[in-house]
Amino acid sequence: MHELSLALEVIRIAGSEADKIMAKSIQEIDIEVGDLSGVEADAFKSALELLSKDSVLSEARINIIRSAGRGRCKSCDHEFEMNYLTATCPKCQAFPSEISGGREFRVLSLVIE
Amino acid sequence: MCETCGCGKPGEFKVHDPDKSNNHEHLHDHDFEHTHNHEHEHWHDHNHPHDHEHSLNHDLDTSQKRVIDLNIDVLAENNNLAKLNRRFFEGRKVLCLNLVSSPGSGKTTILEKTIIAMKDALRIFVIEGDQQTLLDARRIEKAGAPAIQINTGTGCHLDARMVESALGKMDIEANSILFIENVGNLVCPAMFDLGEHKRVVVISVTEGDDKPMKYPYMFQSSHLCIINKSDLLPWVDFDTEETIRYAHTLNPTLEFITLSAKTGEGMDLWFKWLKKQGEIIISPIKV
Repeated sequence: MHELSLALEVIRIAGSEADKIMAKSIQEIDIEVGDLSGVEADAFKSALELLSKDSVLSEARINIIRSAGRGRCKSCDHEFEMNYLTATCPKCQAFPSEISGGREFRVLSLVIE
Repeated sequence: MCETCGCGKPGEFKVHDPDKSNNHEHLHDHDFEHTHNHEHEHWHDHNHPHDHEHSLNHDLDTSQKRVIDLNIDVLAENNNLAKLNRRFFEGRKVLCLNLVSSPGSGKTTILEKTIIAMKDALRIFVIEGDQQTLLDARRIEKAGAPAIQINTGTGCHLDARMVESALGKMDIEANSILFIENVGNLVCPAMFDLGEHKRVVVISVTEGDDKPMKYPYMFQSSHLCIINKSDLLPWVDFDTEETIRYAHTLNPTLEFITLSAKTGEGMDLWFKWLKKQGEIIISPIKV
């Protein structure tokens, strides 16, 4: 459950950024979670909701934006949606593929007041 | 829990020096009990907030809502602390290795045998990570190396900040090796760079040869895979070649050493590997 400590880090980032611009409150937070980032998006959201209650994010709506994993087959160069690291190419069934997207795990933006 | 940043019980950890520690002390060697001005160095120097008025400010909404674009990598702070740890190691010519595995693969036994075999030639230091107890740190000290125990509490992995705290508790000599024995877990520690030079994943032959496919993130991010408990190979269905084949599809440069920490079989290959790494960082190493 590294999602718990990642949720704490997101709260720290949000608090620090909100402090810098002297925001009264944070209304929304957008977080991008790539399907191949190693973060379980549902577990992360639950952890963040739980830990937010007593934090700077207590009033914030938490928006998780999923970005799909993408792979490029090393054998036939076909690019496809890749849901897990060990996925085989849907065109030629080869493995492995190079990851071309879905590793992201970022705080994208805050809506502050 | 701190209202500003949410820090508090979850994520708390303790750093113990087993020489000075009894089991109920609580050493807060971290910044949870800090003042709350929240000024700190900002690592994400390419991601300054760019606040701009968005469409949220329209209609009858008289509040001062603004969208602040951040685009901050959640692991950036950990990665930068890891970078500082790495710089510390390089400054002192300390070879740092992060040992990861599932629980019970034999990491601590490998370390014990390594310390006993190499301690006369080289100074060895160990940071032990476990959810609870000082048991592993005491085993390491008994084998002859100074150890610091990090208890992660509810946490399932070590991070760069915990290692930084532990480094403050030990006097690591120059030209030495530091082993960090991570919490037994093949999932979570994969994401957290500690500042190590190399990551060593340990599996034992009782675990099944498909481990690399089941835990791809860990095998993808490691440099060496030790296959331990080779003395049990005649009695278990473990195909070493198959494991290597699986792992190499994920990580073609992953090195492999098959050994038994218990019988000593193959340990010479591990010592040779350590010596090679040491020559890169410590140079020259007299082992």
